[in-house]
Amino acid sequence: MDFRFSDDQLTLATSVRDYLSGTHGPEVLRHLDEAGPRDPAIWQGLVDMGLTGLLVPEAHGGLGMGLIEAALIAAECGRACLAEPLVDTAFVGVPWLLSQGQTDGLADVVAGTRKLAPAHAINPWVADGDGDALVSVDPLRKLTVRVERSRDTAAQGVSTSLDANGAGDDYLLNLGALMSAAQLVGLADAMLHQAVEYAKLRTQFGQPIGAFQGIKHQLASCSVAIEFAKPVVWRAAAALQDGLASAAAHVSHAKLAASDAAMLTAETAIQVHGAMGYTYEVDLHFWMKRSWALCGAWGDRAFHLKRIDDAVLGGSLPIGPEHTFA
Amino acid sequence: MQLVYTAEQQAFRAEVRAWMEAHVPKEPLVTLECREGYDQHVEWERTLASGNWGMVTWPEAYGGRGLDLIQWLIFEEEYFRAGGPNRANQNGIFLLGPTIMEFGTEEQKARFLTPMAKGEVIWAQAWSEPGAGSDMAAIQSKAVRNGDHYVITGQKTWSSRAAFADWGFGIFRTDPDSTRHKGLTFILFDLNSPGITRRPIRQLHGDTGFAELFFDEVRVPVENCLAGEGQGWNVAMATAGFERGLMLRSPGRFQATAKRLVELYRQHADHAAPSAREAVVQAWGAAQAYAYNTYAVAAKIMAGGKIGAEASLNKIFWSELDRSMHRTAMQLLGAAAELKRFDDGRINQWLEGYIFSLSGPVYAGSNEVQRNITAERLLGLPRVGAG
Repeated sequence: MDFRFSDDQLTLATSVRDYLSGTHGPEVLRHLDEAGPRDPAIWQGLVDMGLTGLLVPEAHGGLGMGLIEAALIAAECGRACLAEPLVDTAFVGVPWLLSQGQTDGLADVVAGTRKLAPAHAINPWVADGDGDALVSVDPLRKLTVRVERSRDTAAQGVSTSLDANGAGDDYLLNLGALMSAAQLVGLADAMLHQAVEYAKLRTQFGQPIGAFQGIKHQLASCSVAIEFAKPVVWRAAAALQDGLASAAAHVSHAKLAASDAAMLTAETAIQVHGAMGYTYEVDLHFWMKRSWALCGAWGDRAFHLKRIDDAVLGGSLPIGPEHTFA
Repeated sequence: MQLVYTAEQQAFRAEVRAWMEAHVPKEPLVTLECREGYDQHVEWERTLASGNWGMVTWPEAYGGRGLDLIQWLIFEEEYFRAGGPNRANQNGIFLLGPTIMEFGTEEQKARFLTPMAKGEVIWAQAWSEPGAGSDMAAIQSKAVRNGDHYVITGQKTWSSRAAFADWGFGIFRTDPDSTRHKGLTFILFDLNSPGITRRPIRQLHGDTGFAELFFDEVRVPVENCLAGEGQGWNVAMATAGFERGLMLRSPGRFQATAKRLVELYRQHADHAAPSAREAVVQAWGAAQAYAYNTYAVAAKIMAGGKIGAEASLNKIFWSELDRSMHRTAMQLLGAAAELKRFDDGRINQWLEGYIFSLSGPVYAGSNEVQRNITAERLLGLPRVGAG
């Protein structure tokens, strides 16, 4: 029993964080949002770090790591509001293909030349490669339509090839929900950080607004929500990796806790920024809109609450002090 | 990250479970906040000690079992699974004990720890004064050195357990010219010393859990001072860290409450609102989140790490969770929520628990203070107004 990341895991996460903070700042998001061309060097950098092959078995040229490492890195992708399809491709698509025994083309995924847009009935759309639209994959209508959503949130360049079509597969749903939750805690961390930095700089009534308890207490409450969502996400990653029968409930718990933390932090961060928070000029809105998108993706709040409800009140999940890791 | 128990840990769990099933009182004890209930709870402390379960993490030399923090968590889980009573000596074993372990002399450890672990001496805390609540550095009660004694004069209040306990601890101003955090000393005293008057304070439920203490030239031997004269603030901060941090409220307590809440919901499902249903589900989730976090903190400490200002996050989380769970239960109970005993004679533990949970966000440093600490020390926001 050891609820800690190893030094190697933490070093890996730090290296991803450093890479993204150096190459993928808010200016990249602004550039893409203004329909500027994608910089292939960013994706190539992720490929060069081996991240596209993180979950690919070593026999197929990957690093052969697990969902715990993937969740830790997905949180870093959230922190950076990464506009590249790393999580969908490498942390959702790859493990699902492996679960289906499909190993063809993994070498291309590792090489970064094949990107995956895993489709599942719970998601009405997947992002397309142009970055400003979504493609409907509604299985009932069998239509492919382009729909607009709030800009910038769609800035993940994903190929439209639905070659990872998992329809109603629960494992795919759990992977998508888990990795969304992991990104959400990273996004929430980043939004809290932006609000804290603004509160230190902005002066009113002769002092930084961050000195007022009215600001402090709101930001402290965000910190509580985020710090108690994180271990739920890590626990869910371990449960899914270990194939526990209860993994679905734990993944839903992670998605719910991370979504609630991110939504609280997004609203609080806007409030702390005052009127500046309502401008396009402040970067915060990119992180907020990505949070909205991920909160709704791979099962919304009501869906995951219902899944926990079914397990806890339905009686399939043992509860009580002696069942912490059931 | 390895989230499975070893065979040895599972065997330990089985051992604790068997003992608890055989010894935990079948009926809930009367509240600790009155004479009858206090006596019942002290008797339970002695029963625990008879099984050598008083404080499992302490060294064997001091009445413990020398176990690690994972074993402690397993012990606590089984304790609350079995419905173990609240610990009458929590001020001693969870607050003062770890403080003596860190700051005490060998002589003090030998003198105070074993009787504490065995429930032979029950401890009260004496932090607050009428003019020093959240602002503890405003303490005025004086301890004047006179030869090999201190002579204490002043007043403490909100002293938990002081209505009935044997000994107390607190910080006193030993340097009459000092202000704020300086010149304070951490002193342990016999509550039956001549010159101490206890005035139990009737709490909002009508019982007397805490008391005012009046000190009128109370003589306390110098060897009862912990960590040296003038070190009181630092020692008290360490004690407060223990209080807010790992041990005072172990997750099993809240997981047990969440489980009882699920059972209560099932009994009331036919007339419960959907909002109550969500609150019940969230209670399970939050109690689990608290447990995971505690396992993470335990692992960090076992690897040589320390718990710092993040203890404030813990305190905010468990205290607000406890209140929220009990509020939900009160809603489910409807009109019966206000009864001290139900028609069948059972104690309404939800009412007792709800009333107690209202004190959680206040004691151990109010949650407003905890949010300040979080904002200033964890988030790095500027400090204002603190001396």
